[in-house]
Amino acid sequence: MDRRALFFLGAAVVCAALIAETEAGLREVPIGLTIVYVLLALASYLDWRSTHR
Amino acid sequence: MEDLALYSVIAIALAFDFTNGFHDAANSIATVVATRVLTPQLAVVWAAAFNFIAFLVFKTHVASTIAKGVVEQDVLSIGVIFAGLVGAIVWNLVTYFLGLPSSSSHALVGGIVGAAVAKSGWSAVVSSGLSKIAVFIVLAPLMGLAVAFIFMVIVLQFGARFHNVDQLNRGFRKLQLVSAGAYSLGHGGNDAQKTMGIILALLIATHKVPATSDVPIWVVLSAHTAIAAGTLSGGWRIVHTLGSRITKLQPAGGVSAESAAAATLFFVSAHGIPVSTTHTITGCIVGVGSIHRLSAVRWGVAGRVVWAWILTIPGAAIVAALVYAILAVF
Repeated sequence: MDRRALFFLGAAVVCAALIAETEAGLREVPIGLTIVYVLLALASYLDWRSTHR
Repeated sequence: MEDLALYSVIAIALAFDFTNGFHDAANSIATVVATRVLTPQLAVVWAAAFNFIAFLVFKTHVASTIAKGVVEQDVLSIGVIFAGLVGAIVWNLVTYFLGLPSSSSHALVGGIVGAAVAKSGWSAVVSSGLSKIAVFIVLAPLMGLAVAFIFMVIVLQFGARFHNVDQLNRGFRKLQLVSAGAYSLGHGGNDAQKTMGIILALLIATHKVPATSDVPIWVVLSAHTAIAAGTLSGGWRIVHTLGSRITKLQPAGGVSAESAAAATLFFVSAHGIPVSTTHTITGCIVGVGSIHRLSAVRWGVAGRVVWAWILTIPGAAIVAALVYAILAVF
């Protein structure tokens, strides 16, 4: 299993969990980071799969 | 008598800024030293210069957050701020001698909160301000990590077009001077302002300036001078931990890490959020290190760093509360 993808997914979960705790004016930061980390997890997984075929 | 106490605590605040310099500011040069772009001696001069001129670039939003957004203003007194500073300085010195890259910023926030709670209970805390700081304790390194990773992907894509790796590395070695300067600028912009915030809180508490006042220019200049002097005096244990023990960096990685850290610090400073520069650069170095594989990051060292982060606010708060309790007896 791709540990890096799991790490990024974990980071996405942490960022998502902080959305509600962040003040309204800065909420785009955890939202944006959640999206970025999900994309990085996906890209990392695809990269791992392509090299482990 | 009150004036003597005020100026003594201002001197201690500037001493804290100095300890912040040798404890935290040395992180500015970790990657430049690790990649041997500059000698340690030149690197500290470079970082200190950018620490100092940061006041020309950033407004004092972070200072306002520290002065007005962490603890209720009517609770702040010379005694509370003194106890908070002592708590933060003691915590900084302990972690410095243990070689742990803990955050001076969070030690300061923890110290002030601990002393204020010891004086007036939990109602002294501005929960919205503390919550904003707490959220960015986690978000700032994650921001840095993601940005550094993306920068590194771009750099590698760009680098793949070059057949001469040595030539490419030479280019990045020069670029690292720019990225290290930008990071030191961001560091000065965020960290020196924490001391400015403390001094502003003191001036407001003693009615030397009105509660709505901005940071006086003499405070701005003295805070930047103190942090730059601290940077000049070194902090090699922590540079070693961050620069070479978390992951091995090449010049391209150094540029990516510092640029990402600078971008993160510019963003948070513009929004008045005091963050740890140590957290931020560590996240960036981990981001660069994980570009190839996660095993490139030495997680044992990174884990030690995380423990230092977790313990910093409560540790400094407990020391400050004890100092305040002793002061209150007299």
